Amino acid sequence: MKKRLESYITKILANENISFSDKNKIVLEDFVADEDNISSMQIIIGQQEELKTRIMSKLRIFEIQNQHIQIPNATFGKEYNVKLDFVKLGLNDIVLTEFEGLEDKNLIYDNETETISGVPNQSGDFKIKFKYRIKGELDDSKLNEKILSFIINANPKDLWKDLPSDQQDKYWKENNVFTFEKLGYKNIAVASKRGRSHANVGSFRDDDFSFKHFDQTGWSVVAVSDGAGSAKYSRKGSELACAKVINYFENELTSELSTKFDTLISSYHQELNNGNTAVLNNVDKSEEADFKDENDVEVLEVKEEKVSIQSEISKFIYSNLGACAKAVYNCLEEFSIKNEFSIKDLHSTLIFSLFKKYDFGYVVLSFGVGDCPIGILNKDFTEFKLMNWLDVGDFGGGTRFITMPEIFVSDKFSTRFGFKIIDDFSYLILMTDGIYDAKFVVEANLEKLEKWNEFLADLGGHNDDKIKVDFEKRSIETAESLSKWMDFWSPGNHDDRTLALIY
Amino acid sequence: MRRLPVYLLLDTSGSMSGEPIEAVKNGVQVMISLLRQNPQAIETAFLSVITFDSVAQQIIPLTDLASFQMVDIRATGTTALGEALKLVSTKIDTEVAKTTTEQKGDWKPLVFIMTDGIPTDDWQSGVAEFKKRKTSFTVACAAGSGADTSILKQITNDVVSLDNADSASIAKFFQWVTASIGVSSTKVEDGGKEISGINELPPPPAELNIVV
Repeated sequence: MKKRLESYITKILANENISFSDKNKIVLEDFVADEDNISSMQIIIGQQEELKTRIMSKLRIFEIQNQHIQIPNATFGKEYNVKLDFVKLGLNDIVLTEFEGLEDKNLIYDNETETISGVPNQSGDFKIKFKYRIKGELDDSKLNEKILSFIINANPKDLWKDLPSDQQDKYWKENNVFTFEKLGYKNIAVASKRGRSHANVGSFRDDDFSFKHFDQTGWSVVAVSDGAGSAKYSRKGSELACAKVINYFENELTSELSTKFDTLISSYHQELNNGNTAVLNNVDKSEEADFKDENDVEVLEVKEEKVSIQSEISKFIYSNLGACAKAVYNCLEEFSIKNEFSIKDLHSTLIFSLFKKYDFGYVVLSFGVGDCPIGILNKDFTEFKLMNWLDVGDFGGGTRFITMPEIFVSDKFSTRFGFKIIDDFSYLILMTDGIYDAKFVVEANLEKLEKWNEFLADLGGHNDDKIKVDFEKRSIETAESLSKWMDFWSPGNHDDRTLALIY
Repeated sequence: MRRLPVYLLLDTSGSMSGEPIEAVKNGVQVMISLLRQNPQAIETAFLSVITFDSVAQQIIPLTDLASFQMVDIRATGTTALGEALKLVSTKIDTEVAKTTTEQKGDWKPLVFIMTDGIPTDDWQSGVAEFKKRKTSFTVACAAGSGADTSILKQITNDVVSLDNADSASIAKFFQWVTASIGVSSTKVEDGGKEISGINELPPPPAELNIVV
């Protein structure tokens, strides 16, 4: 202690140009030993320590004031609960914190738990005041203040506009449609709705659908089409495509042709019962009709001599449904030529399904190009079949359209057809990607029975909005409830939505 | 959900210090605030910032716009553009999801590069690496007369230039980037089509020259 005081006073006195030699050193030693002088020096040391502490605090505060501090962004109407991690922010020397400017946004700060919580009631880029005291500052000192930016995002739902589409446009169509009808022994409820992305800019619904039951032959047909968002007149493309499917079978599926198929299918069913034939999944490729010649779709190039019933059926499906697909292409091409624009402007996907009741059950046929699925579920929801595969590509966006001539000459063309015999079905479902993307997300889920059952449960009211499709009504109200159900919210999925349910 | 990844590669070399770097920071801030008001962008666009000076670093990983917060950037050092291109390539590999049977992939990324100088590193090997990645489009902006558009042309065909690297010009560039991200996010949500080149983007403002 004595040594320390001695060296300390020596430094102070040296500052005053007072120094000691060996001769007078004794004076300093006596001086340092004096009680009064000791207490004076202790006061000086204490004061000096305090000054040091004060300047350190000031330096630290200066540092904090210049530090970039931002608290996590909030969203309007969405519960916010954020514990501020001052240690992680490098602010472990902070002893007291307060915020100013949160209350009017319906948020509170609890300085015990260092948590901001509440449900923000406004949105925007705000400035809030962060008040704090650091270690070393006096308990009654005024709190330091730092202005922080605080972002409250708008609720995405509020950002969407609902602008009307131009009714004067030559290809205008209704934004929202829904309908219910009896379809043979079944019912169809179908709704098609303009997506939020289109409503936001006042553009048109690009989806479409059509259906018809032919009393004379007992066949029913349902078509769904999704006009490509990037194609200028795809709303017309999807409309024409759906209408052409109906028109084609109306003219081409004659009683004579239907009877031919009835005979085939009866024999086939007979064989199945005898256990002679494997289940036919896709159309047998060896029995390809050749649609490569655009001018003559009727030409069939049967590549194998051997003709089994199974391949006869394949051939029937291929030639009739394939010819329908080609007829749709021709119709769209003709329309585009007549109106002097590229067929690409009509780019649309197309799925359609035909079904008919026989005494042994239902026969369901299908065709699909693009990324819209057709699914069928048996009566007790224990089995299902995805009737078509989807055109999806790496990185997304790789779909195919009925307006692409290359699909007809591709090796894959023959795999675009579906065939199923089923005792009875609970639902036959056709949907556009506006539904599929949101509800099934990926193709793989379409292969899972539980996903289809989840989807049906969702339709039955198991959803955030508790909206239920009223299937039991079997009236336009069913379709109306379906249309309401289709307003479901799904981030990133705001495309047109079309869903046809045959039950 | 399919995200629309956006990578901003920003030159933070010493020559950017002062007005240009402040303009870049401000440009990003304004861009974020505007995009947050766009319902499609706020849901689909994810943004990452990679800076390059003597080294390249990803200062903000791919982040959704709602939680995005710009960090402070300073201008110092040289221009490691090649390293930045290698970095963005590996980030595209790790951050951008590909479509598989079990998941829906992200949209192809948009890449915006802004530089005011000539690369000081082995930029050719960076270009070679970057070229192996699929982007929806890549726009390189030469800010001021110090940048070499012929080098940028080897990275991408879509090169624009600003006569001056002043705050007004840089602000214009970011306005155009904002509009381009907006249009891209609308396009992918509205029927699933990606933008494939500069000609599908909004016309650039007069301050922005398209380098042919």
